[in-house]
Amino acid sequence: MSTPATHPPRNGPSVIRPEWTVTIDPVLQKELERHVLVTDWNKLIGLVDTIYNWGRRSSLWPLGFGLACCAIEMICTASSRFDIARFGAEVFRGSPRQADVMIVSGTVTKTMMPMIARLYDQMPEPKYVISMGACATGGGPFKEGYNVVSGIDKYLPVDVYIPGCPPTPQALLHGLMALQKKIDGETITDLPWYRRDVEREIPVPVLGPDLIDLRTLEITAERTALGLIEAREATLEKPPRIPAPQPAAAEPAEDAAPAAPPSSKLDKIRARVQGTNPAAQGDGETSAASAPPKSAPRAARKPKVAPVMPSLRWLGDEGLAALADRINAELGPGTATIVQAALLIPADKLLEVARFLRDSNVIRYDYLASLQSVHYEDCIEVTYHLDSTSRPGSLIELRVRVAEPEGQGKLPSVVSIWPGADFQEREVYDMMGVRFLGHPNLTRILMWEGFAYHPLRKDYLEPYYEGPTKVLESRVEDGQHFRGEELNPHGTNIKIPQSYQGWNSLDPDADPKGVHLIPPSAAVQVAEIDSESFVLSMGPQHPSTHGVFRMNLRVDGETVVGLKPVMGYMHRNHEKIGERNTFLMNFPFTDRLDYLTSMANNWGYALAVEQLMGDDAKVPERAEYIRVIMAELTRIASHMWSIGFLLNDLGAFFTPALYAIEERELILDLFEWASGSRMMCNYFRFGGVAFDLPDGWLDRCQAIVYDRLERRIDELDRYLSGNEILLERCRGVGVLTAEQAIALSTSGPVLRGSGVKYDIRRAAPYGIYDRFDFDVITGTRGDIYDRYLVRLQEMRQSVKILKHAVHDIPEGPILPGKKSYQIKVPAGEAYSRTEAPKGELGFYVISDGTTGTAYRYHVRSPSFINLTALETMCLGHTVADVVGILGSLDIVLGEVDR
Amino acid sequence: MTTIDLLGTFLKILIVVGISQGVVAYLILVERKIAAWAQDRIGPNRAGLELLDRPGFRRLAPLLRPLIGLGLLHPIADGVKMFVKEDVVPGYVNRPLYLLAPVLAITMATIAFAVVPFGPVGATGANFLGFGDVQFQIAPGIDIGILYVFAIGSLAVYGVILAGYSSNNKYSFLGAMRSSAQLISYELPLGLSILGIILICRSLDLNAIIHWQDRHVWGILVQPLGFLLFLISAFAETNRLPFDLPESEQELVGGFHTEYSALKFGMFFLGEYLHVITASFLITILFLGGWDIPFLTDQAQTGWFWALVKVFALLLKVGLLIILIMWVRWTLPRFRYDQLMDLAWKRMIPLALLNLVATATIVQLVRG
Repeated sequence: MSTPATHPPRNGPSVIRPEWTVTIDPVLQKELERHVLVTDWNKLIGLVDTIYNWGRRSSLWPLGFGLACCAIEMICTASSRFDIARFGAEVFRGSPRQADVMIVSGTVTKTMMPMIARLYDQMPEPKYVISMGACATGGGPFKEGYNVVSGIDKYLPVDVYIPGCPPTPQALLHGLMALQKKIDGETITDLPWYRRDVEREIPVPVLGPDLIDLRTLEITAERTALGLIEAREATLEKPPRIPAPQPAAAEPAEDAAPAAPPSSKLDKIRARVQGTNPAAQGDGETSAASAPPKSAPRAARKPKVAPVMPSLRWLGDEGLAALADRINAELGPGTATIVQAALLIPADKLLEVARFLRDSNVIRYDYLASLQSVHYEDCIEVTYHLDSTSRPGSLIELRVRVAEPEGQGKLPSVVSIWPGADFQEREVYDMMGVRFLGHPNLTRILMWEGFAYHPLRKDYLEPYYEGPTKVLESRVEDGQHFRGEELNPHGTNIKIPQSYQGWNSLDPDADPKGVHLIPPSAAVQVAEIDSESFVLSMGPQHPSTHGVFRMNLRVDGETVVGLKPVMGYMHRNHEKIGERNTFLMNFPFTDRLDYLTSMANNWGYALAVEQLMGDDAKVPERAEYIRVIMAELTRIASHMWSIGFLLNDLGAFFTPALYAIEERELILDLFEWASGSRMMCNYFRFGGVAFDLPDGWLDRCQAIVYDRLERRIDELDRYLSGNEILLERCRGVGVLTAEQAIALSTSGPVLRGSGVKYDIRRAAPYGIYDRFDFDVITGTRGDIYDRYLVRLQEMRQSVKILKHAVHDIPEGPILPGKKSYQIKVPAGEAYSRTEAPKGELGFYVISDGTTGTAYRYHVRSPSFINLTALETMCLGHTVADVVGILGSLDIVLGEVDR
Repeated sequence: MTTIDLLGTFLKILIVVGISQGVVAYLILVERKIAAWAQDRIGPNRAGLELLDRPGFRRLAPLLRPLIGLGLLHPIADGVKMFVKEDVVPGYVNRPLYLLAPVLAITMATIAFAVVPFGPVGATGANFLGFGDVQFQIAPGIDIGILYVFAIGSLAVYGVILAGYSSNNKYSFLGAMRSSAQLISYELPLGLSILGIILICRSLDLNAIIHWQDRHVWGILVQPLGFLLFLISAFAETNRLPFDLPESEQELVGGFHTEYSALKFGMFFLGEYLHVITASFLITILFLGGWDIPFLTDQAQTGWFWALVKVFALLLKVGLLIILIMWVRWTLPRFRYDQLMDLAWKRMIPLALLNLVATATIVQLVRG
């Protein structure tokens, strides 16, 4: 074929071809056309097009990679209810070389973007891109995040956009059909991949101080040098900072400060948009344009203060006082000071206190439940929540304060005492810039080495920052409507410090996330024969990493001699966004943490804020029952999924998984009926739930619980538990002893699989779990099989709870008062602990009582912390085992990276 | 060999190769349908549906609609797509070997058919246009047929090993490593497991083995252990679950063919299914009586009718075996690499040796 430029348009004047210039009798021509298939050039092209397009449209093999929540719906599309196989598109290929269409299913983060561009480049032509869901299309709910790319189409040519968050499987099927229609309309004469003048290769963007698109490198450098970002930020209202809590005696004086704004947030924003100063309306708020809030005058009215306690179930005031006395007697006076129901420890005494608490105290605090940090006005506070597995429920909180300026905070690492602090300390370092001395591998964990900021510090403003709280001005209807891109001087979601100089050293082949995490070569000695080991980077795009998780393996033959988890590819800034959202607005974001268990996440978050609200959010009886029903249904759905995909990881091609998904679908139906959404339920409210159960819901639930679930659980048990291959693959593989499991802060089925009887529903009961009779299931060996079995048995226990709950649920209100959109949360600190299907899900919330948003919002995610144990479990096993062990941990990347 | 024989052989080669390649395309569809059946789904069922509205195709609609409903056009669509897909040869591969590997894979899988009888051979009485009896085998009269099949089967693994080695990709490399180890391990039980039936039938000729089974009983009855060992080894030899370690999607992404695209990938695909067909033929011939239907057929029956009955019987057994192999794939999880080795060296080889010794003793005793 000649080059397309010489071809005529299909219906235009035909090109003169010498042999066809003979005039033909029109009648004869018609006859010929009727009986001979091809009569002219256009028809020939038409015929070729028909076959060419038909072949491609009927055989669209997707690239098997999923990013976030949408990927779950993508998998469901392959299940029996939707069956994408009908279109011939069920052949998900793990290798981009064999794929035809890339379904960008989920939030595209900056960390992931270079990988996606590379995958796209590796796909052979003709290739298509489906942008699935709001995030892939434009950043979606996470658009304002500092690590989120506002739309995959900033980099790749997208063929079909599917709206939805997440789009249902039907929507994906519709998107696929839309793509087929698009292919139908193509003609071989002007396809871009046959044209020399069209550049189809995407330059891989670079992870420098921010994600840098090499196509716009020069203009980015220019704008950065001008300091446009800094100039813009100078005009914006900064987020307020509050002082750190002080010991009880000093409290009243300190606390006389901030006032609750009487007018609604929306009114204030309206006023601001119209150019008037909300302060002028007499609510005493600090004026928006004036000096930074730090020095702002505060109103005289005292905000409501929440009950002071670290968590709902804890050691108690007397116990804490006794403990403080004991520590002071043991380690010298002044070691422990009680500050807001927690022990304030000087940084240099931290290790001594930790060792004392773990080894010598009456209650052995052997379990580090959670570790987080708060950026206060005058310091950065790192807080540790400790619990004891021998005396569950005696939670205490430690506070350690370090210097506030960026990069100056230093404190000793507690990894040697509680190894489970490993990832959490790295997270604090990454997000706050606090250095942990003695940490074995203090590198960034969610962002990449070289990223210019520590994003959770209060003085870090995201590239799309508009104001300290939402609703943002640009979204208000009567104001002008802006997109984030228009507000940022770069026109996209990047922010680079003005002083950055390394423009010429940006290298698209560099690997800033993985380079510091190459496992050492001599961690495990296995080979008798002299052999060389090599590093295998598994993920972030890999069929069995359950999303965009990555492991750097050092393998000797097939034996894993070193392993380093690399994460952050799904880091979508949940916490930073959560500190801008009003309390109520944050509910839908919690849905998207562990997107398989949105109801459980809702509950955890609701519990934390309810602890602050105290009696204002007393949950009515009916709502308590509904909460239990929803949480237990979620547990069954999540465990079903987990067991199915564990089998998938072991090599059973999707069959068990799809059967498990069938049950999950039934549960999702119930969710959709009650809340309006299959996956992102957003169903809980402070003090209750959003809607009452619709008529007939309970009957249907009852039918499923009583007649179906047990049968299907037995079926799974019958077919799977005794299978020889399953036993061989799972027994004795990935063993985690009870001591290790506790030390590494694992939780949920992982901890219980190792034989530790620790279930938050029993250890620190919340809701009405103390009324139900159920067993805490534990394993004995701590291997993959035990974790599998624990999940299987837990489903049975959940059914047991459900039977009770569905039977006993009373009539009554579902909220303590009227439905409210103005949530007033008193000032205070709360940490909620719930037993989510993956493990202990904790929400750490600090409210300043005035702004209506969380001052600090941290999620203790079970998937993330359970991963701490991965390296221990995998060393010495084979690559195939690593996949199975990861499957038995049951991680969800939305929660790991948040 | 006369010219007529030569022409006949060429014709048979054309037919067998043509049919087997076509059958393979549809075997993939069968596999997808079996997957759908195992997973409670429908499976491919609509490629071509939209074509029925086109003016040129409207007349064909009544004919095409039922075929489309069965998904019969999907393999064609896949073929067309693979054909028009860009053929990427990454810059970092070892180019000659990279190009050679898929060719090897598919060639070796194809030429193994040369000695496999797909019907009665000898005095069949099925006379074709007066040219003599039709032999339902491309190269009839080779008395070491089994050795040939085994030799070619071992060569086929070079396709996999070379693909893994030349791709310069770590996953491919691991796949190739697994493949070579797996092959060496499973050639042994595979070879040992058929020695028993060879001793009993006293021949390496596949036809003679069928004849013996026709006269006496099926091989599976005299060699049940041999059959089991051979079946398991055959799964391993064809890289099918639970032994699909060289490919193992969940661990190695695509295994040895990770870096292959378009038709080259298609060739590996075809090769894999051709192996399945060959393995099923061998199992049928060695242990399930070949074309024999007990109490119905025997060697003496001649003529087109009986020839076709025998061909059909053989193909039916092969087809059922293929379905069994596919069914297993969608049912079982995968062994781990070292367990696979354990199974071969510590369990199957000793059992096969035991079987051989026992068979030899009995044969010696029976014959005096």
